[in-house]
Amino acid sequence: MKAALKAKTQTPAPSSSVAPVSISCRNLTLRFPVYGVDAKSLKKRLAAITVGGRLGSHAGVTEVTALSSLNLELRAGDRLGLVGHNGAGKTTLLRALSGAYEPDDGQVEVQGRIASLLNLSLGIDASATGYDNIRLRGRIAGLTARQIDERLDEIADFTGLGPFLAMPVKTYSAGMQARLAFAAATAVDADVLLMDEWIAVGDAEFQQLAHKRLLGLVERAGILVIASHDLDLLRLYCNKVMRLEGGVATAVTDIGQLDELMAA
Amino acid sequence: MDTATHMLRTGRRGTLFEINMALQDLRNSVGRIGLAWSLAWHDVVSRYRGSILGPFWITLSMGFMVLGIGTVYAKLFEAPVEQFLPLVALGIVFFGVISGMINEGCDTFVAAAGMLSQTSLPMFTFIWRTVLRNLINLAHHLVIVVAVLVYYGYWRKMNPLGGVVGLGFLVINAAWISMLVAIAAARFRDIPQVVTSIMQFAVFVTPVFWPSDRLQGPRRVVLDFNPFFHMLEAVRAPMMGATIAPHTYSFLALMALVGWSLTFCVFAFTRRRIVHYL
Repeated sequence: MKAALKAKTQTPAPSSSVAPVSISCRNLTLRFPVYGVDAKSLKKRLAAITVGGRLGSHAGVTEVTALSSLNLELRAGDRLGLVGHNGAGKTTLLRALSGAYEPDDGQVEVQGRIASLLNLSLGIDASATGYDNIRLRGRIAGLTARQIDERLDEIADFTGLGPFLAMPVKTYSAGMQARLAFAAATAVDADVLLMDEWIAVGDAEFQQLAHKRLLGLVERAGILVIASHDLDLLRLYCNKVMRLEGGVATAVTDIGQLDELMAA
Repeated sequence: MDTATHMLRTGRRGTLFEINMALQDLRNSVGRIGLAWSLAWHDVVSRYRGSILGPFWITLSMGFMVLGIGTVYAKLFEAPVEQFLPLVALGIVFFGVISGMINEGCDTFVAAAGMLSQTSLPMFTFIWRTVLRNLINLAHHLVIVVAVLVYYGYWRKMNPLGGVVGLGFLVINAAWISMLVAIAAARFRDIPQVVTSIMQFAVFVTPVFWPSDRLQGPRRVVLDFNPFFHMLEAVRAPMMGATIAPHTYSFLALMALVGWSLTFCVFAFTRRRIVHYL
């Protein structure tokens, strides 16, 4: 499995666009303003803790520097693993790459269709049926109504929920909801795939299916960026790695240097 | 979606750049207007899921309000029912659109927090979602309007084109207020309460339940400078075959221009912060 994935990464991913798939962050800096808290007490409380970004104050508003002067260049075939403590800025970087956050400084540029699998339950409406949720999720991901109709059977098959798909999602068990969310979220074509931890949902049997599907998605995508605490997993799926610490990133290194990177 | 996609996000690069980015957000939202429609449609469907009448429940309650107020107030004001009831009917239905868009505006970004914090969807999409949702509701309530106008014979002298133009003016103005309120409510959580109070107050100082010609002399100032009066009048007067006050269109056009300029500037400067407010 590993060999297959690595082999695939050697060839440039098929791209529908003129410009090749790429990610480019230059000097990317992100500060979160914190509204509605007592800045002083918060600062005092968190100053001594190494977890989290750096706190500071800018123009009277308390700010957390989540990413500072991050540089990152990725092109088709790169599978980047992000490592770092909680609050090191991994999810923030993923969200910046998804286009949700505006940098305070520097820039982030992404060529290609982005699929962010950061929160699977995005847009899931518990009172709507499974089918309605698949449609809605597809629309949010940028599919047209016709594209969704074309894929609906395949998605429905994959969930294995059968007649339950016509029932409201609130009647599902947690595992069934996860199956639906996973199937809907992964039914996209993406050039750039963003993931916060490798997604593992459902029972043992479904986990196998999900794993296969996710691998397929990763293989088709030009670039994968995944944040994880599981180093073995990163070794398996990534060919590059970057460590974040308090919003400061190391240079991107080969996955072979993961141990040295973690020891540093 | 097989077209090339390009996403560029940068730090502040001056006023012109911010305005350009805001314009791009607007363009993207128009390009994906189908998404706003899907979200709006889903909102309506999901709000009334499992109910038999769906949005017609609101229509029904509006209908009873029209009947009650129309007949009782007609006596109080000593006005003929055939003039008064249609006035109240159109007043309630179209003021409902105004207050719906503005009140629900408070929730526009707050409700979209999940989507805004992990996708690059345009922010304007969610403004259109609120606007379209209210237009879908209006489509249901039009039953009342049609019924009243037909029953009292106004359909013979009504000016449908004027009504459509008026509705256009109403929506354009309600939309910018809705957006301004959406941004403010995302940042300050007191705004929804303030907005609700203002809209409750507005329903009484706007001639929704009373004929505007009852107010004469210097007290007409209440009408002349009441934006809601002009928004309502632009739709209601042509629908009832009445002549529209000459300055109403100019008031609404000016208000749309000033309002959208203001709102757009506020958006351009808060755009990159909105997701952090949530």
